[in-house]
Amino acid sequence: MAAGPQDVAHVDGSNAAAVLELRGISKRFGATRALDDVSLTVRPGEVHALVGENGAGKSTLIKIVTGVHEPDEGSIAVGGEAVSLRSASDAQRHGIAAIFQEPLIFPHLSVAENIFIGHRDRGAVVHWGDLYREAKAILATLDARLDVRTPATGLPVAAQQAIEIAKAISLEAQLLVMDEPTASLSAHEVDRLFEQVRHLKAQGVAVLFVSHRLDEVFAVADRITVFRDGRHISTGERAEVTREALVREMVGREVSELFARRGHEPGETVLRVEGLTKPGAFTGVSLELRRGEVLGFAGLVGAGRTDVALALFGIEPAEGGTIELDGHRVEIRSPRQALRHGIAYLSEDRLHVGLSLPQSVTANITLPRLRNYVSRLGLLDGSAERAAAGELSRRLDIRTPTLQTAVELLSGGNQQKTMLAKWLDTRPRVLILDEPTRGIDVGAKTDVHRIIDELARSGIAIILISSELPEVLAMSDRVLVMRDGAQTGTFSRSEATQERVMTAAVGVA
Amino acid sequence: MSAGSGRLLRPERLKELSLLAVIGVTILVFTPLVDGYLSGRFFNRVSTSVTIIAVLAVAQTLVIITRNIDLSLGSIVGVTAYVTGQFVAAHPDVTPVAGVGLAILIGAGLGCINGVLVAYGRVPAIVVTLGTLAIYRSWLIEYANARTITTDELPSWVADLPRTTVASWGDLDLRLVFVVALIVVVVLQATTAKLRWGRWLYAIGSNPDAARQMGLPHRRLVLSAFVGSGALAGLAGFLFLARFGTINVTAGQGFELDSVAAAVVGGASILGGTGSFVGALLGAVLIDLLDQSLVRVEAVTEFYRNAILGALILLAVIGDAGLSAWFRRRRASEARPAVGTVPSPAEATPAAPGPAASPIPDHDEEASHA
Repeated sequence: MAAGPQDVAHVDGSNAAAVLELRGISKRFGATRALDDVSLTVRPGEVHALVGENGAGKSTLIKIVTGVHEPDEGSIAVGGEAVSLRSASDAQRHGIAAIFQEPLIFPHLSVAENIFIGHRDRGAVVHWGDLYREAKAILATLDARLDVRTPATGLPVAAQQAIEIAKAISLEAQLLVMDEPTASLSAHEVDRLFEQVRHLKAQGVAVLFVSHRLDEVFAVADRITVFRDGRHISTGERAEVTREALVREMVGREVSELFARRGHEPGETVLRVEGLTKPGAFTGVSLELRRGEVLGFAGLVGAGRTDVALALFGIEPAEGGTIELDGHRVEIRSPRQALRHGIAYLSEDRLHVGLSLPQSVTANITLPRLRNYVSRLGLLDGSAERAAAGELSRRLDIRTPTLQTAVELLSGGNQQKTMLAKWLDTRPRVLILDEPTRGIDVGAKTDVHRIIDELARSGIAIILISSELPEVLAMSDRVLVMRDGAQTGTFSRSEATQERVMTAAVGVA
Repeated sequence: MSAGSGRLLRPERLKELSLLAVIGVTILVFTPLVDGYLSGRFFNRVSTSVTIIAVLAVAQTLVIITRNIDLSLGSIVGVTAYVTGQFVAAHPDVTPVAGVGLAILIGAGLGCINGVLVAYGRVPAIVVTLGTLAIYRSWLIEYANARTITTDELPSWVADLPRTTVASWGDLDLRLVFVVALIVVVVLQATTAKLRWGRWLYAIGSNPDAARQMGLPHRRLVLSAFVGSGALAGLAGFLFLARFGTINVTAGQGFELDSVAAAVVGGASILGGTGSFVGALLGAVLIDLLDQSLVRVEAVTEFYRNAILGALILLAVIGDAGLSAWFRRRRASEARPAVGTVPSPAEATPAAPGPAASPIPDHDEEASHA
């Protein structure tokens, strides 16, 4: 390690060394370039906001700063001293602390222990009296009223974040990274969090604040940096930046390299949704979907798009509003009911809920409709299964050594196609695709786009959820935009421009 | 400061108190049913017979806290009891400290094998210890070659150990072995509470991801738990040797499940992160007390005895789940208002996302693009 455990000297004044200086950082994951020659400087005591679309590289940058990933190229300096951050404890030793959307809390340990558990310098014996006293003192400076002796289990997210901030203070962190810390907070709790951020700032701690919500960024940041497609686009003082300029910088991408859909006329209406509501997730979503139509769902992560999909597929049923299929009112309370109505949902989480990784391609494809492969004796008819799987894999061009190969051995793109085949085997009339091209390479992406186009032409009505704006715009006949659980716009193909959709997604008029 | 009520409600303390209450009820129920139940002799019998399982319950709890399990404890008891018995029989002039020390060392060594496989080999503990359960036992069968150690071979200090009394009141004796079990409980309860090592054990069981993220020495901690549990099983093996004197290759068989039962009844969660050693002792006492009591009630056959003990374990787990759910609900209701500043007018504003009182330029144009 370049720098020893000695902590960065306490800095004050504006001419002091930068708390964090990144130079020429690049990071690839397989075929994707997550970060491309990025440089960023965080000054002592500033709140530096990092904004950008999904996939702009913010998360990768955070992971590099907190020691989760190591950069392929580039250098990191902390307090003017070159360092390498190979692990979370490296980062911690150099005075970098982080708060994630879901705080890392030990539920069985007391609040005070949660604050001090990572400390190595307190000796082998726990002095409970001191522990409680110091924890109480730190929480008091944050104005967080928690009983430091009780276990942390069941505390609301805001309180857990207060614990994490207290932890950062106790470690004398020089830089606190906050990754979407407000995602699950109420408005009042957001205010309290920002109070705590200002308190940290007053003590000279720098904050790297990552958020989708421009309101919050403008409320709390001193400087704002925009990332796009893994590149640093701009950094400016808050006072000198306008929202419109930010949005322009966040999008500003060409659509040309994407697959071009062949136009065709959609048929009659299949699905009609009125005022669909689920408190806490989304409210008043209305849409109409016709045969052979692709309806794009645009919006930022957490806007409620997936929640609407889960409601339509019956996993997390809606609590208000109506769903009509072919003009008939239907109730969808479970995925079984949804499948019976011809609705299928391709999950965004391929690895955890989308596929059974150790099982074969065939077993995965035939799983949802397995009863169709039961012979008269009540046994599974393996040859019928293989025939169906074989046909679908030819149609979707799934490249696998054999149909009996375990899915986990396939590439991401072929896994994605297997998941598509699985849902196509249910013969859906309405197919909901949630981030169908996430984490797959460019070639497979084009394949998936071609398949979507073909499926639409064959008369399937498709809802396409994607966080990649160019993809939504290229593939959709119409685009529905959501923000914070509300539908903020619906645009026809000709109306849907990057700026309009992005504006509706981030909330700038 | 928010209500101090939470302090009294620490889940472990509550569990220990409720176990004490259940033990009290058990005694009240059986007193009229069994002749001479509330006697010194019955206390002596239970307090002697409970020691082995109590020590094993403590050993098991140590491992369970870290979100692991040790199913080889019974086999470790068998191996240490036999090998130590053979050694003290061959060297009758060996000191008690050396004899007990040998048993503990053998146990720690066997526990170390478990720990290395779990922590560094990354094999799940249930698989590793299921394997070593069989391997340690098979080794003992091979090694013993059908020979049984008998009480006459043992030096008198070993054979007399179970009857050695520290103090007595009337016919109620405080036996040395029971005191040993109490010391084990107190030492572990204190070290896990007062040493960083102990708190880290709870931490890695409570949230392994967070522990790793924080750079806690995860593997060394798991290894230390297995070594500790093995060492305690070695001690239990010595207690077994002293109590029964006659040792064959089946010594300690089935104790692994008894230890899990006592640990779980005592409040340890099989999902890690929680469990107390006082609880483990009380769990062992309750199970042994019920067992010894039911034996003395003629209407209860062996079959019902096992069924009642099984039901007790299920009840303990269900009660535990209910208790923690209750605690979380209570916590949620008491923590919410306490986290924020004093409830302010801001609370009354509609829950629009985004901050309310901040220098936000041009923030009033939200509704215009639906």
